Amino acid sequence: MTTHTRQPSAPAPEDACFRHPALFYATEEEYAKGVGGFIRGEASRDQPVLVAVPDERLPVLRDVVGDAHRSVTWVDMRASGRNPGRILSMLQEFADRHADRSAAIVGEPIWVGRTAAEAREATRHEALINLAFAGRSATILCPYDISLPEDVLQEAHRTHPVVGDLDGYRHSPHYADPLTVCRDCDAPLPEPQAPVVLNFGQRNLGGIRDTVRDWGRSVGLSAERHTDWLLAVNEATGNSVRHGGGSGTLRLWRTPDTAVAEVTDRGRITDPLVGRRRPDPLSPGGGRGVWMMHQLCDLVEIRTPPSGLVVRLHVALG
Amino acid sequence: MHEKNSSLEGGTAADRHVAVEYSSDDEWACHLLAFVRAGFARDEQVQYFADSTDPGRVTRTLTERGVDAASAVRRGQLVVTTADETYLAGARFDPDAMMGVWHESVDAAAAQGFNGLRAIGEMSWGGRGIVGAERLLEYELRIHHEVFEQAPPRAWCFYDRRLLPRTTLGVLREAHLSRAAAADPGETPVLSAAPLTARPGFRLAGSAGYECRQVVASAAAALAASPAESLTLDLSALDHLDIAALADIVSAARRRPADAPVRLLGAPAAVHRMLQLFPELRAGLEVAEL
Repeated sequence: MTTHTRQPSAPAPEDACFRHPALFYATEEEYAKGVGGFIRGEASRDQPVLVAVPDERLPVLRDVVGDAHRSVTWVDMRASGRNPGRILSMLQEFADRHADRSAAIVGEPIWVGRTAAEAREATRHEALINLAFAGRSATILCPYDISLPEDVLQEAHRTHPVVGDLDGYRHSPHYADPLTVCRDCDAPLPEPQAPVVLNFGQRNLGGIRDTVRDWGRSVGLSAERHTDWLLAVNEATGNSVRHGGGSGTLRLWRTPDTAVAEVTDRGRITDPLVGRRRPDPLSPGGGRGVWMMHQLCDLVEIRTPPSGLVVRLHVALG
Repeated sequence: MHEKNSSLEGGTAADRHVAVEYSSDDEWACHLLAFVRAGFARDEQVQYFADSTDPGRVTRTLTERGVDAASAVRRGQLVVTTADETYLAGARFDPDAMMGVWHESVDAAAAQGFNGLRAIGEMSWGGRGIVGAERLLEYELRIHHEVFEQAPPRAWCFYDRRLLPRTTLGVLREAHLSRAAAADPGETPVLSAAPLTARPGFRLAGSAGYECRQVVASAAAALAASPAESLTLDLSALDHLDIAALADIVSAARRRPADAPVRLLGAPAAVHRMLQLFPELRAGLEVAEL
């Protein structure tokens, strides 16, 4: 093992401009050297840098980088990326803000403690990065704690064209087509126990909103999260009426710590990146509703079975 | 008779624009008679714009119930015509043009020596798919500030429950600050819109989702067209508003001829949350608490 981390410089197989390496680390020291060295190097060249990692990692990196570099933006990924489906929008927005330069980003979307469902959606996010940033001049370094479950680490090899550790970077022989990875992430969703089942169409959307509102209050959503809940579910049911064949089925249930709403309809999603770029709020197109669901919920799971579309929205209780 | 206000012959702008609902010919005739008699007593000109009713039946009904309709027609005090021959004669129903027609009609009645103008309009064409009928709610919302607060006519909008869907009727009824109905106040719409009385502006009440987009679009159109410099949109009785509705309101606020932002009063939590997600939507709005 070398003591110095090289800049991730190996090009992605299909894209000479965009670099998306995964960095596997075992210790905080390795993290500081590998990730901190990357940030320091980019910042010293006055490149715009976004660092989105779990909050407990931020002080480690700040110590390495120091306070001199004003070009670094620090973000707690546990909060901003709690729902993996909204991370890509944040990354693209940052790159867009600095479109005249090559953005450098550290994105750590999976940490020890992520649920299997969250890790699956974070893996989907990692795959979609390759589609969203194709052709852009940017580098997104993704640190992976090697104490993560083995299947998560294996997926990192499929979603990153380049992988490495403190010894250096190399092409990932397991790198896979992003759409293939996304299909593999479409694991069947577990069936809930005793959900409330509501059929809806345009005629009763108002009544459905009343039910969703009352149900959300009855399970203990805080006032703030209740607003998020109602906005998100309303966008999902409205999308069903507008795009999903005019009607749908809504199921509501709770887990020990989460309120869940699932909307099923006959719609299709053809753009895998829908809702992962900040939309024009005045335009009804552009995935405005899906983007809002991602911002408002703690987890969004979307499946496209042959029968249509399933959107599952999770909002934490309390 | 159910009356929202103390008197359907009161003098405020709110009193002078009334939604009148009926379910039978006899109810229709009773409303007609009361309105015409009050107008003649005040030496006002009475205009009746028929839609589903044959104009001849209007004068016959008045005559049968003791009103000398024939003489009134001869001296120009009673004018019975049809919507099709007058304000629906163009290519489409045009609320912008209607505002001017009202003011011209008031001036014409005064020029003929009458003390004022009152009119009945049968509004059943609103359910007939006429081009521009989708702007009827916008018209009903705008007319309060743009006509009745500026000039002194009196109008009763006749809504025949037999000819309009209940949901359509409910929304149109709620756009009037005064209402009259023989019975059954009717169902409350999921979302209603009405003009404000204390200041220029409108109020949305209920819950605004995809199914209510026409109501929101009408309120937004009324908001955009308002000539008032300072305009308030009271959302304090609103439980929920979706992003499409907020986008409609913001777009309308930015289309207004006046530079002053539209004041959003008592916006529900959903609006505040969406403005957090999309702070750029604040341009053109002033968010105020009650």
